[in-house]
Amino acid sequence: MARYKKIVERNGKRYFYRFSIHQRIQHIILFSCVITLSLTGFPLKFAHKPWAANLYAFFGGIEVAPKIHRAAGTILLGLFVYHTIYFLLLFYENGIKKLKEEGNLSPGNVVREFLNLEMVPKKRDLYDIIDTFKYLLYFTNKKPRYDRMSWKEKFDYFAPYWGIPVLGPAGVMLWQRDIVSHYVPGIALNAAYIMHTDEAFLAAMFLFGVHWYNVHYSPEKFPMATVFLTGYLSEEEMIHEHYAEYERVMREEGLEAHIKPQH
Amino acid sequence: MKKCLFFTLFLCLWALSWERTASAADELNCILCHKFVGLSRIDENGKFRLFYINEKMFESGPHGKLKCYDCHRDINQIPHQPAQKVDCTMECHIIEPSGGKRFTHKSVEEVLNQSVHSKYDTGGNLKKYAEDYPHCKDCHEEPLYRPLSFVKGLRPGVSERAMAKCRTCHRTGNFVDIFYTHVTSRLHKTRPSREIIETCATCHENPEFQERHGLDDVVGSYKETFHGKAIAHGSERTPDCVDCHVVAGQNVHSIESKKVPTSPVFPANVKDTCRTESCHYTAGEKLAGFQVHVTDDYKKYPLQNYMLLFFKILTAGVMYFFLALIFLELLRRLFPGFTFGKDKKRHS
Repeated sequence: MARYKKIVERNGKRYFYRFSIHQRIQHIILFSCVITLSLTGFPLKFAHKPWAANLYAFFGGIEVAPKIHRAAGTILLGLFVYHTIYFLLLFYENGIKKLKEEGNLSPGNVVREFLNLEMVPKKRDLYDIIDTFKYLLYFTNKKPRYDRMSWKEKFDYFAPYWGIPVLGPAGVMLWQRDIVSHYVPGIALNAAYIMHTDEAFLAAMFLFGVHWYNVHYSPEKFPMATVFLTGYLSEEEMIHEHYAEYERVMREEGLEAHIKPQH
Repeated sequence: MKKCLFFTLFLCLWALSWERTASAADELNCILCHKFVGLSRIDENGKFRLFYINEKMFESGPHGKLKCYDCHRDINQIPHQPAQKVDCTMECHIIEPSGGKRFTHKSVEEVLNQSVHSKYDTGGNLKKYAEDYPHCKDCHEEPLYRPLSFVKGLRPGVSERAMAKCRTCHRTGNFVDIFYTHVTSRLHKTRPSREIIETCATCHENPEFQERHGLDDVVGSYKETFHGKAIAHGSERTPDCVDCHVVAGQNVHSIESKKVPTSPVFPANVKDTCRTESCHYTAGEKLAGFQVHVTDDYKKYPLQNYMLLFFKILTAGVMYFFLALIFLELLRRLFPGFTFGKDKKRHS
């Protein structure tokens, strides 16, 4: 697995490592599929709206657009499986293998190690949420000091992790309805229809509204954040978004004297 | 002199026009007036009535060989009083070639009277709200009846190659055009699925009609299915109302109530209706359990409605929470140094 420098300097500016190339490619596949699925799915969900016909026709209409939709859905489901394996391999590499080498491998330690993973929600996130609202509602001037993954980023991450297992199998059921109807009652297809389209609506609202605000529309990011391409976050962004991590990494790299205040 | 010349020219043109239309089996020369696009009036019910006849459309339509008088029997002079409604079940002047009898649509009415759309009950008495039940023209809206709807062209299906074979023997007149079209037009869909749905919607989408007859909003609920949505996007391979509700082997006038055991949508028959050769033929019998006409009635459709409620609450909860967060974040930028708390100094 490639090793990345925690801090790199370019043109006199420091950049902090966030995502490996492997993760960035997964993210590109993820958003390409989600955008394709949205563009070929919502004109069908809202088929009677005036904008739907032209958009659907652009993707080949009723004969072609469903095929594009299913292809994108299949790739996304594949990515979900792939990422789960990747996640477990990373956990094995960085957690279980270390426990093995130290001779501390036990079910309890494995669970503890899992709960320590950076994406797993922790008690600290609850405190961060409280700090966030205390700051936003003017009860304090202290900004929340997020570590490597903030509670908002964890929500962003687990939204697809909840969404894909709901959307995906429901989509497969609707796609292969004739086969499915040999095993499950027809009303399960009614349920799959609601699960698929309504969960998709929630996912799209969240991704194109909230997530895109965080990475595109917000004043610091507009027109777009570059971390999903470069894998690195600028020092300014680190101070603004991950101050706890910023301090820690600067210390780990022997740059305590250069730590800037949170602003 | 100039005025006289113009008047003569007008008379000549008028005479030519008269000559042309009079030759088109229009003995009373009705087209003399009805050829004008703006011929219309507002009737006593305040309804706009258009009386323009697109001659070309009329001649290429199914009744193109009939004379106006064949249907409008009450009109025998010009100018005429408001015409009575046409009775499609009367005998017309066309001789049906196989039996040598005058043609009539009477048999269609007989079939219709056996169907769910009959205005008579099984005892032969008029049903309640009998005026709500459809007449021929409520569903059969030919181009003739809406002559300004130019978008409706001929449906595909008449093969020039096939007609060429017929012309080998039938060389005289327009025998092939009439009879080939007559037969083949019944072999394919005569109107797009979207139009069929809108025809049924004329009555079934009307809330007052639904209330009078104790019916659900079957058209609205159908439009929410993948079938309805595919048709909205122009699919011609997706089933519309007629495909599921017409008894197999019967014509469209024989639609029956879902409570009648011979109806294709009678609960025990749905599995076969869905699995016909051109539809879900590889599906299992359980497909019949799929509910097509789901409404917002919690008692009839609890699963769907509670699921929808769950997703509405989830979507609203998530979105309101995060949109509020964004709003507060933007608001915080306006007063970055302000706080109600004791910590007045900026954190560093």
